[in-house]
Amino acid sequence: MQGNRQNFFQLFDLNQSFDVDVDKLGDRYRQLQSESHPDRFAGAEESERLKAVQFTSLINEAYNTLKQPLARAAYLLQLHGEDTEQVSQADLGMELLMEQMQLRESLDELPGDESALPRLEELKAEVQEKFAARQQQFATALEAGEVQAAKKVFHEMQFLHKLLKEIDQGEEQRLGY
Amino acid sequence: MALLQISEPGGKPAKPAHRLAVGIDLGTTNSLVSASCGGKVEVLTDEQGRALLPSVVQYRAGQQPLVGSDAKQAAIEDPANTIISAKRLLGHSLDELKNSHQFRQYQFDDSRGDGSPAIMTAAGSKDPVEVSADILRRLGDIAEARLKGTLEGVVITVPAYFNDAQRQQTKDAAKLAGLEVLRLLNEPTAAAVAYGLDSQDQGNIIVFDLGGGTFDVSLLSLTKGVFEVLATGGDTNLGGDDFDQILVAHLASQAGLTAELSNQEHGELLRLANAARHSLSEQDRVEVSFRGQTLTVDAGEFAALSKDLVARTINTCRRVIRDAGLDKSEIDNIVMVGGATRMPVLRAAVAEFFGREPLTDIDPDKVVAIGAGIQADVLIGNKSPDSFLLLDVNPLSLGIETMGELVEKIIPRNTTIPVARAQEFTTFKDGQTAMSLHVVQGERELVKDCRSLARFELRDIPPMVAGAAKIRVTFQVDADGLLSVTAEELSTGKLAEIQVKPSYGLGSEDIEQMLKASQDHAEEDMKIRALVEAQVEARQLVDAIRAAEAQDGELLDQEERAALDKAVAELEQAIDSGDRNAIHEQSEALNRLSGQFAARRMDLHISRALRGERIEEVESSKE
Repeated sequence: MQGNRQNFFQLFDLNQSFDVDVDKLGDRYRQLQSESHPDRFAGAEESERLKAVQFTSLINEAYNTLKQPLARAAYLLQLHGEDTEQVSQADLGMELLMEQMQLRESLDELPGDESALPRLEELKAEVQEKFAARQQQFATALEAGEVQAAKKVFHEMQFLHKLLKEIDQGEEQRLGY
Repeated sequence: MALLQISEPGGKPAKPAHRLAVGIDLGTTNSLVSASCGGKVEVLTDEQGRALLPSVVQYRAGQQPLVGSDAKQAAIEDPANTIISAKRLLGHSLDELKNSHQFRQYQFDDSRGDGSPAIMTAAGSKDPVEVSADILRRLGDIAEARLKGTLEGVVITVPAYFNDAQRQQTKDAAKLAGLEVLRLLNEPTAAAVAYGLDSQDQGNIIVFDLGGGTFDVSLLSLTKGVFEVLATGGDTNLGGDDFDQILVAHLASQAGLTAELSNQEHGELLRLANAARHSLSEQDRVEVSFRGQTLTVDAGEFAALSKDLVARTINTCRRVIRDAGLDKSEIDNIVMVGGATRMPVLRAAVAEFFGREPLTDIDPDKVVAIGAGIQADVLIGNKSPDSFLLLDVNPLSLGIETMGELVEKIIPRNTTIPVARAQEFTTFKDGQTAMSLHVVQGERELVKDCRSLARFELRDIPPMVAGAAKIRVTFQVDADGLLSVTAEELSTGKLAEIQVKPSYGLGSEDIEQMLKASQDHAEEDMKIRALVEAQVEARQLVDAIRAAEAQDGELLDQEERAALDKAVAELEQAIDSGDRNAIHEQSEALNRLSGQFAARRMDLHISRALRGERIEEVESSKE
């Protein structure tokens, strides 16, 4: 009955912080899976196997949450009692909205064929850079105990993440996947 | 997560003496069985030294069925009683297959009533599970004769794209054959295991699997003995058969056949083309004789002809690498699976694209079976359990139907399994006491475009106002990729549970088409989704106003009531019109108009409550 009382960070022996050592996370994940995967209990009682299925499901969920920056940020906010589903206009500064509009416009203006690919790559790099900078800001804000400031940065990260996905889709369309 | 009683699994099971377990590649065309013999996993051969068992069964009145090469011979004289490619029937319903051209030689049994595509034979009607069981039984017999002992467990491989129904039926077939299934293993994962263990590699592996009629690509990462599937993809309309077809066209034009080929001409040329293709893997130039003419094809011509097909395989690789978020330079090994990958044109194209030679040391027909045998040996406990572990993904998204026939995805595709995900739902109407849950599989936004897996009901929900009940639905997918669903009403703890076991499923072609369609229709789907959501919300508003009028109508004067009814009618019109903006506007208008009424009701109920009166239960509105 240990698993469901521990939070995801504790489960992976990590400090509760946005800065996660990805290699250590992966190592611990594989170690936990190796110990408790249902395949380790192929010949065991049904109840043991069911426990293994449930525990490894939890490990998978925790790993998926912690390895992705956006999901990790949302989870940290939830641990601080914040509702990450709700966004109010006040959470998003005017500056961000302008920036978003500008980026989106440059995306929409691109030609619909392969000639747009180099520009898409540039845009992607630009947005990735912004996303990385926001991650840094999020970590700093949370470290300083400024949860509301962190939440604002989180919503900005959400926007940028969505934009990155759209750029990816744009690339895939033009590549004919 | 509170729903799952979770504890850390206990210690490892005691290590038993050497036990017999085999790996089985249950193929569409051929099947193989393998086991560990003196520390090395090998494919087991039958009495006549044959490794490949054709997946063909002939049924005879009053006799045991004939399985394998002998049955394959019989297929020519006795096609109606000889079942080939039963694997293609797994997970399908009779309705889907009845009129399929591909299965026209069979007479399906309409009288079963269970929806299974059973075929009438001299030994009674046989469904695909029974046919698969006969093949598995024969493989089990071959293994027990070779290993001189009783089998204690088997690992059976399935295509990565097999859905819930197809996996379940594969497991059922094993049970019917009296075999204990240790695990269903995805074919590409098995192939990676066959190579990965010898070399103890670290890195990313692409499995390139070109079968007779399908093409699959999987990307796995191997780190310290743990295989993780990162992404899978495929092209179910591409296989070795397509390469034969382009050769048929080439030979036909050389033979001066310009009109459409007769069935007989086509059949003859196809046999020649297939043989020529195989020879071209060994030599540069092939001559065939067709009705007195000598036709030729050389490697250069074949390469030119198959250029487009080869390009399609490479494009799929590109796509899978991208799905995994990697670059092709990060691929460390390429594993070739399936007889068609012997073609030099393919090997050359793969080597050129990745900048390295693909691994071909293990016979591409046997590599999947060998991987399964290695896994069986580990699972039964003969090998150290620390040697390796396989982490697979689910191939298609799993979701549930919500109001307006929309799909709420609960577990997206390419999620590592086992996985459990919970989502909370609520009631749509006041006083609603039952909820029907519809589980679907697929990538599209609308229920009708996805595959229905199961329906079940949660009853005896305590009557509450719409939106107050909390129903948590938990999806659990186990290591074999099989799904079970639990629904719980949180205030009462009322439970409903179902092991998803549908009578039919999706073919790989369906899956691929659904994936493609979901990409093609993404934008359209989102628009429809937004409209349906607006309609659902508006209907809830209409219901709420009606219920309030019925209960507290006396709070309104005649004029107010008329205005409110008019606004309700206008909103209903907007709902039917399918114009999202109109729905939005009319909803706003109705909300504004009813604000005063709501405030009065609130006052009334508060004052009643203060006086200790019981607030009357809201009658659920009748449809």
